[in-house]
This record gives sequence, C-alpha cells and structure tokens, in this order.
Amino acid sequence: MANNDLIRNFSIIAHIDHGKSTLADQFLLKTGAISQREFRSQLLDGMDLERERGITIRMHPVTIYHQYNGKTYELNLIDTPGHVDFTYEVSRSLAACEGAVLLVDATQGVQAQTVANAYLAVENNLTIVPVLNKIDMEISRPEEVKSEMEQVLGIRPEEVLGTSGKTGQGVDELIVALIERIPPPQGNPDDKTRALVYNSHFDSFKGVVIYVRIMEGRIRKGQRIRMMGQGTEHVVIEMGQFRPNPTVVDELGAGQVGYLMAQIKKLDDVKIGDTVTDAFNPAELPLPGYKEPKPMVFSGLYPSNNNDYESLRDSLAKLRLNDCSFTYGPENSEGLGWGFRCGFLGMLHREIIQQRIERDSELELVQTAPNVTYEILTKKGEIIVVDNPQKVPDSGQIEEFREPFITINFLIPSSNIGDIMKLCTERRGLFSKTEYLSPIRAMVTYDMPLAEVIYDLFDKLKSLTKGYGTMDYEITGFRAEDLVRLDILVAGKRVDALSTIMHRSTAEVRGRRMIKKMREEIDRHLFEVVLQAAIGGRIVARESISAMRKDVTAKCYGGDVSRKRKLLSKQAEGKKRMKQVGQVDIPQEAFLAVLETGE
Amino acid sequence: MIPHFPPTESTDPPWIHPRAAYVHIPFCAHQCGYCDFAIATGKDDRISAYLEALEWETSRWKQAQKPSFLGTLFVGGGTPSHLNPGQLARLCDLLHHSLPVRLGAEVSMEANPESLTAEKVKLLAQSGWSRISLGAQSFSRGTLKSLDRPHDPTAVRNAVTLVKEADLAVSLDLIFGAPGQSPADWQADLGEAISLGTDHISTYGLTYEKGTPLEKRVRLGMVRPVGEELERRMYSMAMETLGEAGYEHYEISNFAKQKKRCRHNEVYWANEAHLGFGMGAAGFVGLTRNLNTRDLERYIRLCAEGTNPAFQSETLGPRERVIETMIQNLRRAEGIESHRFFLQTGFEPKAFFKAELNPLLGQGFLAQDDRGFRLSHEGKFVADAVMKRLIRCL
Repeated sequence: MANNDLIRNFSIIAHIDHGKSTLADQFLLKTGAISQREFRSQLLDGMDLERERGITIRMHPVTIYHQYNGKTYELNLIDTPGHVDFTYEVSRSLAACEGAVLLVDATQGVQAQTVANAYLAVENNLTIVPVLNKIDMEISRPEEVKSEMEQVLGIRPEEVLGTSGKTGQGVDELIVALIERIPPPQGNPDDKTRALVYNSHFDSFKGVVIYVRIMEGRIRKGQRIRMMGQGTEHVVIEMGQFRPNPTVVDELGAGQVGYLMAQIKKLDDVKIGDTVTDAFNPAELPLPGYKEPKPMVFSGLYPSNNNDYESLRDSLAKLRLNDCSFTYGPENSEGLGWGFRCGFLGMLHREIIQQRIERDSELELVQTAPNVTYEILTKKGEIIVVDNPQKVPDSGQIEEFREPFITINFLIPSSNIGDIMKLCTERRGLFSKTEYLSPIRAMVTYDMPLAEVIYDLFDKLKSLTKGYGTMDYEITGFRAEDLVRLDILVAGKRVDALSTIMHRSTAEVRGRRMIKKMREEIDRHLFEVVLQAAIGGRIVARESISAMRKDVTAKCYGGDVSRKRKLLSKQAEGKKRMKQVGQVDIPQEAFLAVLETGE
Repeated sequence: MIPHFPPTESTDPPWIHPRAAYVHIPFCAHQCGYCDFAIATGKDDRISAYLEALEWETSRWKQAQKPSFLGTLFVGGGTPSHLNPGQLARLCDLLHHSLPVRLGAEVSMEANPESLTAEKVKLLAQSGWSRISLGAQSFSRGTLKSLDRPHDPTAVRNAVTLVKEADLAVSLDLIFGAPGQSPADWQADLGEAISLGTDHISTYGLTYEKGTPLEKRVRLGMVRPVGEELERRMYSMAMETLGEAGYEHYEISNFAKQKKRCRHNEVYWANEAHLGFGMGAAGFVGLTRNLNTRDLERYIRLCAEGTNPAFQSETLGPRERVIETMIQNLRRAEGIESHRFFLQTGFEPKAFFKAELNPLLGQGFLAQDDRGFRLSHEGKFVADAVMKRLIRCL
C-alpha cells in the first residue's frame, strides 16, 4: 500500500502535434518503466489510426516509479486526447488527477486547444505545471511563447520549464517539478470506499476493463463492489496498474489509479463517471461524476451493397463495445435502402469511426452529409429532436425550428483577424470579442451555429492562416432560427438521403452550389440526368447532365478481348462505392456535395 | 495454300477446338502515329530469321495435334505486304505445310497500298489466297497526313484495282474522327470506297492509344481530337451511307456486301477458339488465352531454342467466359443468340442479365426477339456503356 504522500496523479494537456506522446515516452524511459529497446515512438497511442493522425483518443493510464530524495514516488500519468471532439474525455481524465502538465510547442506557441484544456484544468482545481516543448529546435521562440502563456493563461514566465521530447532534455527537471509542485492526493484509505470510473475498454478475452481512480478507502481483489449509479454488484476478479504493461496487484488504495475486471460482459453495463463502493460497507453519497456527452453530429452510413447490411450492423456493434460516445440506430432511406444513422462527438470522431469500420470489415460504405441535432417545437407544443433531415415535419406544423449554438475561439495571427471575421460573418457568426495575446497573435471569439462549423470551417481557418490558426468551441444551447429543409431531386425523384437543413438565407445559394457540385461528381449516363434543388416543394435550382453520346471501342479482335474484358469490368467495378437511386449511379462524393461551399 | 478435303474432324465445339488461325507479320516500313500494334520498323534484316521462327512455331502446333484443317486463315501485321516476293513465297510455303486449310476456306492477308505490287498480288492469288484487306484509312491527303500514313490516295485506288483484277475479295479499312477531318471529307471517303466496288469496309473511329506518338501530341495540345458529337455523326454517316449502298452492318465497325463478311473475324466475335502465331499474336484454345511475346528478338530466340514464345496465359473461369462472350457477341448484328450462348457458357443469357436487360430494353439501347438480344441502332453508339451495365449483373 502506497503512502498518499508518495503518489502524484497528473495528465498532460497539449495541442495535437505538440509532442505529448514523445514526452510521455521519455517519462517511461527515464523512470525505467521501459527499456531503451522498448522505446518506440508514441507507445501510448495504441491504435494504428491514432498513430497515423498523431492524436490520442483513448486514455491509457501509466504508473511510473521514481526515486527522489531517497523515496520512491508513484507517478500516475493519465493521457488525454488533444482534439476538440474529445473535450469530454479530457475533462474525465482531469477529474482523476491533482495536476496537469500544460505542454506548449515552443515553435508554434499557444493554440486554441491549449487554452480550452488549460481552462478545464483550472476549473477542476488542478495544479498546472507549464512546459515548453521542442526547445532543442532552432526555430523555437521560448521568450515569445512564454509571454503568450502569461497573457492568455496568467502563467508566470519563471514557472515555465523547458523540455525536448526528442532528446530527453529537461525531463529530469520536469519529474522533480511534478513531485514538488503537484499536491499528493487527499483521500483517506480508511474511509468508506469511493472510486471514480473514469474510463473503460473492452477486452475480447477478459470482458470490460474499468479504469478507476480511488478517491477514498480501498479496493481489494475478491471484494464485492457496487456501482452506485447503476445499482449493480460484481466481484473483482483481477486488478492492477499499467506499468506500462498491465501488472496485477492485490489492492489499490486512496489516491491510486488502476484498472479492475469484474466479469462484466458489456461496456454499456458500466457507466463512465459512476462511483465504485464496497457492497457490504457502501458510501452514502456517490462522487459527482460527469455529464454524458451527447453526440452532436449525425450522418447516415449505408453499405454500397445492400447485402452487406448485417455485416455493417455487426461492425458497428463491435465498435461501440469500445466507444460508448458513438451511437447508431437503423434507418431506412427510399433511395439508399437499409443503413444506420450514426451519432458522433464531432467531425474527426466521425471520420475516424468510418475509417475504422472500413478497415476492420472491408465494407464499402456510402455516408450521407453530416448534420447536427435540431429541435422543433410543434404547434401542438411538443418538442421533436431531429437528428435526420427526413424527420422534419411539414412547415405548417412547426412553431419554432431550433439549432445548437456554440461559442468558438480562434487563436490566430493578428494579421488574419479581418479574414476570420469575414469568414464568421458569412457563417452567421455573432462577434463577441477580440483579445491580443501579443502584438502578433490574437484570440477572436464568436457565437455561431454549430451547423456552420461542421462543414469546412476548420479547413478554411487553416488555409486562411497558413496553418497557424487554431480553434476550439463549446456548445452553449439551442436557439430558434429561420431554418428550412433543402431537398435534392435526381431525375425527378427526391432523394431523401440528400436532404439537408439550413438557414433560409443561405439555402438557395447552397442548393445551387450543391447541384453544381453533384453535376461534376455524377458520371454521364445513357440518358440525361436532371438535378434539382427544392425548398418546400419550390424548385430553386436545376442542372442537367447530358446523356453519353458515344462510347464504343472501335476494334476488338482476338488479342483485344481479355484486355477489353478487364477494362470494362474494372470500370463497372468502379461503381461500387456508389448508390444506385432509380437508374442513376450516385458516387460518395455527390452525397457530400452539401459540404461544397463553392469558395 | 492449296486447299485440302476435310479429314476426320474433331467433334469438339468451335469454342473449344480451333478452326481459325492468325499469323502475325510485324514488319513495317514506318510506324504510323496512332499505331500501338506489335510492329517492327527498320528490322528488315530479321525477316528471314523471323520466318524461320514462325515455321518452327506453326509446325510445332501441327505435330502436337492430329492434323486439323482450318476454315479461316488470316495473316495480319504489321504489314505482311512489306515482305519482298521471295519472302512472301517462303511464307506461303511454310503456311501451306504447317497450317493446311480446307476447301472453301477464307484466306486473308492485310496489305498496305504502297507496298502491294502486281507481282505480289499475282503470287498471292496463285498461292490460294482469297481476300486482301487494304489499310487505306482515307482518300484525303489531309487526313492521311494527320494520321501519319505514308501513301497517297492514288496508291489506294491502284491497289484496289490490282486485287480486283486478280479476282480476290477486297476489304478497305477507313478511319473517321481524324484530327481536322470534316463530315464532308468523311462522306467523300465513304463514297470513294463504295465506287471502287469494295466488297467489305471496316470503319474505325480513331482511338488515341496510350503511348502512341499521336496520343502524346494530344497531351501536349498539338493535336485536338474531334468532339464526341462529330464522332457520333460520322459513325452515323457510315451506317447510313454504307447501308444505302447495300452493305450489311454486321459488326460495330464492319460492313460487308452479301456473303462477303470476314469469316475469320466472325470467329472472334463469336468468342470461339483460334490459333495465334508470331510475335505478339493471341491464341484461344480450350478456354485458355495465350499471348506471345511482343519483343521481336525474344520471339526469334525462344523459337530458335525450341521454347514456347507465349509470355502470358490465362485460363478463363465461368465468370470471365460469360463476360467475354457477352462483350464479343454484342458487337455482332446477331447479338447474343440465347441458345448458343447457353451451350457456350452454361448460362441462359436473358435470365442471367435480367436485372439490367429490362431497363436497357426499355431505354431502347437493346432490342430482343425469340432468338436473343442485340444492340439497337442507338445502342451501337454507346456499346461499351451498355456492356458495363450488363457486367454489373455478375
């Protein structure tokens, strides 16, 4: 049993690519948790997709032992994801810690994500250990970045440490600072047991693995535990810590972080934020826990081949085993047949899920354009939650059409303020404020509909600021707006999966752009294909794709047959990632035409 | 070349047992800008060695099989007429020994107008040839120039006259859609081909094959291909003009007077078995497609060493057979003949292609009757797109 005074629990919060994972690897190396031989880049990012993208989605706790002043300290590192879609997961891991390393890239400076996560840490009463990373690089500008940190986050420059994840420079000093600055956990191991479930994952051999932070009391192997929120009871059959490989222990006490398994079969049976207590000597009150994240971005996922519906369902079920923040339910589209409406935390989450399904199942998928959740107050006084444009009732029945709004912060070079303001105004943004971090960097804040963000705002920001701008947002609530459903007709038939909800003021322009884009994406057919955009039955735009006039191979003799067969088969095969609506082949790109802003 | 009476014949169906042979002569005086065939220019010193290799390859077939008498023999190129009279005589001799044809067989040779002399025509007629296919391409100087053809219009007229005087059937190849070619130019080409009394006319829409000098000039913007609409109009003109002149449109690109169809090429479109000899030649025997090396020196060397010169071989599965038979059959006026297609592939075509067949019939790209289905007039313009739709049934 570790003495509380010798435990330090901390997270690293950082913007994507600021070197968090490399620094984490340095910890493992310095403390002997892994050998030089095992040192491989981004050890903590377990999944291929995450490694490819340089982001961390899942939180892996790692326990490290370190000798300092003749004592052995237990340092628990709880990793956090670094993307706007995963704010909820960041707040979860912060709740299990007393301190946080605020990692800022000395070459890039403070980013919007850094600010957002630092505020989260402050809200959770965490001690912040500010660190400048990549100080070994020639292009680093530590003094400027320190002054930015002071300006935006109120961090005193003399508190800021310097490290290099690549060379290991400054890591020893950082470990000392962690031990000296971060307070030890408070709880008493002799109190009634309360442990916070801050994450879980599904292991196909062992069932659900629960990640806990013991706040008070202790948990032993073989103990009968109760989940206070769910009201279920289980027996702990195995528990341990990640050092960094799972290492079995018999007991965890107040202040410690670890995992436990209790023969729980489904991830849904464990609620993140729940409190674990002793079934025979339960605590009176559970810990505050978390508010569950609601998926805010939805899109339809359909197998290109209708026969793959069941395989897709199996893949989604498997994926959900490990990611409860993702939701799905069956839906039927006249045009696309049977598929699923899936809910995601944000755009990156959506993209990752889709890639993971395609990679794991080898299914060809067609996804519809994403939309946010809307609320409709009907004339009868009911509130309908609309996660699919197909669910919008007739305009006569609508009293109020509401959409989610966000507060969005941009951290940008001051020279781009004008561009960003123009961009936001075009997207129905309401200016809130501008703050200067330094003479050359500023933070611009807007109120904006979430729907305007999910399309291409991030890409636009990156291109306007040459990659130097970052953004972060949080949802503030629903507001009534003048919204309409824009329908698309292909060859005279409304394709339900192409319907989108948008503001009346932009609907006509967007409708025109959408079908223009679709015109480029849909191949010519043997007949003319007419595309139309309509609002409430009124046609607002029309395009047509002329019929193919000549497509014939002139010569086909003995030596040409196989080549021709292969060519035609390949071209016919190329229609796979498409959906046939009536007689028209619509490729994936056309379903995403709404994302086209035409600028 | 002297015809033989039929011996005991194989009882295997024609899609298994070959009764047609193709022989490739790759030599040319010059490479035309649009050509991507297996050819050899400036290699005339290798003709003798090549004929020797060909002799080995053809006699090897004869030894491996019990003697089989061919219904059609087609010598193509390259430019077979580029051989000098002595070399031509040797070719005739080796074919006579190794690839005997039966009485009434169709024996064709491709020739270019500028290399076909009276002496060569006489030799061919005496050796039992029945048909000469002339690479005329056009009667317009401008079009011939844009196609990079070395002859002038007079040479075409002279060559046709020579062949007709020798009482051989004559076929002309014509190209439409050449850069700069106008509908009037094309109409004039068709008119001249008809007035010369040609038995058979092939009209090919110009194709820009990857890697050819002409395709490169298009990529560099030096040459502008004619538009799709003009190409369609020219194809339509060919159908109309040749139809009125009594030519039957019996295959997508081929027109023939009564009983003057090219029976050898009909073997390809029926997707039946055939032999292929020479550099780059393709054979299809017993459901296996073979392709010989396209490298002249390699071909000569392999044959000299007594090694099979094939470099690619693919045995077709049921799926491949269905697709190939469908895409070949649909090129014909007869289209897909249900009963024969069933015997040949094991699938009843109307049932097999049902999902796409009905809409394509409804949209007017296919037509059907009790015997089967075929491309409609409209369907011929977009044959590839129709075939792709049918492939999706698999």
